Amino acid sequence: MKKTIIPFGPQHPVLPEPLVLDLILDDEKVIDAVPTIGYIHRGLEMMVERVEYTEMGFVVERICGICSFMHGMGYAVSLESIMNVEVPERAKWLRLIWAEISRVQSHLLWLGLGADAFGFENLFMHCWRMREEVLDIFEKTTGGRIIHSVNRIGGVKRDVSDSELAAILARLQELAKAFEETARIFASDPSIAHRLGGVGVLSAADALETAAVGPMARASGIRTDTRLYGANLYDQIEFEPVVETAGDCLARAVVRMREIPQSIDIVRQAIEKMPKGEGLPLENKPRGNPVGETFTRLEQPRGEVLYYVKANGTKYLERFRARTPTFANIPAMIKLVKGCDLADVPNIILTIDPCISCTER
Amino acid sequence: MANPLNLPMVPRALRNVVSRPATRRYPAEVRTPFEGARGKIEFDVSTCNYCMLCARRCPAAAITVNREERTWAIEHLRCIACNVCVEVCAKKSLAMSNEPRKPHTPADSRDGHRPGHEEWHGEAPDAAVTAARGSGA
Repeated sequence: MKKTIIPFGPQHPVLPEPLVLDLILDDEKVIDAVPTIGYIHRGLEMMVERVEYTEMGFVVERICGICSFMHGMGYAVSLESIMNVEVPERAKWLRLIWAEISRVQSHLLWLGLGADAFGFENLFMHCWRMREEVLDIFEKTTGGRIIHSVNRIGGVKRDVSDSELAAILARLQELAKAFEETARIFASDPSIAHRLGGVGVLSAADALETAAVGPMARASGIRTDTRLYGANLYDQIEFEPVVETAGDCLARAVVRMREIPQSIDIVRQAIEKMPKGEGLPLENKPRGNPVGETFTRLEQPRGEVLYYVKANGTKYLERFRARTPTFANIPAMIKLVKGCDLADVPNIILTIDPCISCTER
Repeated sequence: MANPLNLPMVPRALRNVVSRPATRRYPAEVRTPFEGARGKIEFDVSTCNYCMLCARRCPAAAITVNREERTWAIEHLRCIACNVCVEVCAKKSLAMSNEPRKPHTPADSRDGHRPGHEEWHGEAPDAAVTAARGSGA
């Protein structure tokens, strides 16, 4: 029988991001998928050779519009470890709080997009209305909704007063309560169960073999989370990664849904444990230029991100590399797409939470 | 067969019918900007000493300073509102207002107009100071 090749993207109604995938079909079944990476390559990593390392943080933040805080934080943490800068305690806690709030924001965004992909536009709007409240918290505390620009090498630029933190926590807990209703819809709606349940099953063995990261691996029963290694004060937080065992699209949605209240609980713990008071130091300015190289790992909303930074003692870094979670999840996604129906491809692709701008940098 | 009466979205939908919309009728209705929001750079020409530090440190190269002609200019369309210039300014001539920049239309850039371009001209340097500098060099 003759095979059909359908180009999925770069422009596709289900995905705002330009994912380029050639689907090779036999009738309605996908028998192979060929991804092409680089459609929106912007050369951001190359920019370190022209942009001073102090200014590069603003570029790194712009790798992604959703995990921008985590990217800025990862760059700052990398440079701090090269330059041996001790970050003040309160700045570290503030970073952790912002990182967790950005996880809430990202998962709400994804749940909305996921709902939109399987035709539940009403739910999409509810998720995004809740996300807007989280973005308001960001704008009040960091000054920006999406690009926060609060991370500097050696600390953070803005303090959030203790009373404001308490108000933020109250607001987030209210949001968690409102989210329970949405989570119930996700769990009990028959159309969602029909559309996502049993679709795109990734077994634990396959997840390990394709080195899936983040919610993708956790939905297949693998207890993996970079936060468990305890860096960036996560060793002082009590939490257990959300793990589901089904490995299908619904399990991946459920993992993200359960991570929202968990992140809000981590924010609560952080606010309790952080040093209180006004005027505490927030930044230790680094001296001189960096020499050396380092690897940094963070748990972004989509999974583990890895930064490699090499500095040679000048104000321009020699090499900067970011391996983003979507890049790590693409082999698993290709594995899932093979053998599924054409109509299920959008759902499978969306449940890995693809961020193509991150992947192609 | 799924239960046809399982309609978890109905209470939410009914509440939506009677509640106010979550969106605003922008641009007729504009939200008051938050206290700490980063909107637009504001410049006070009377205190600036033209040290050029803001122009050197701006990651987007949006600021141009000319020490000789005493001009300070910013391209608001290039500015990424990162607040670095405000942080480095020793004379506190720069401030970040929380009012966001107004959008432009293509019509604004006709007839050589540069939307987003703002320029200030400081007073000419004091003649005595210039003379002293010239002789002291």
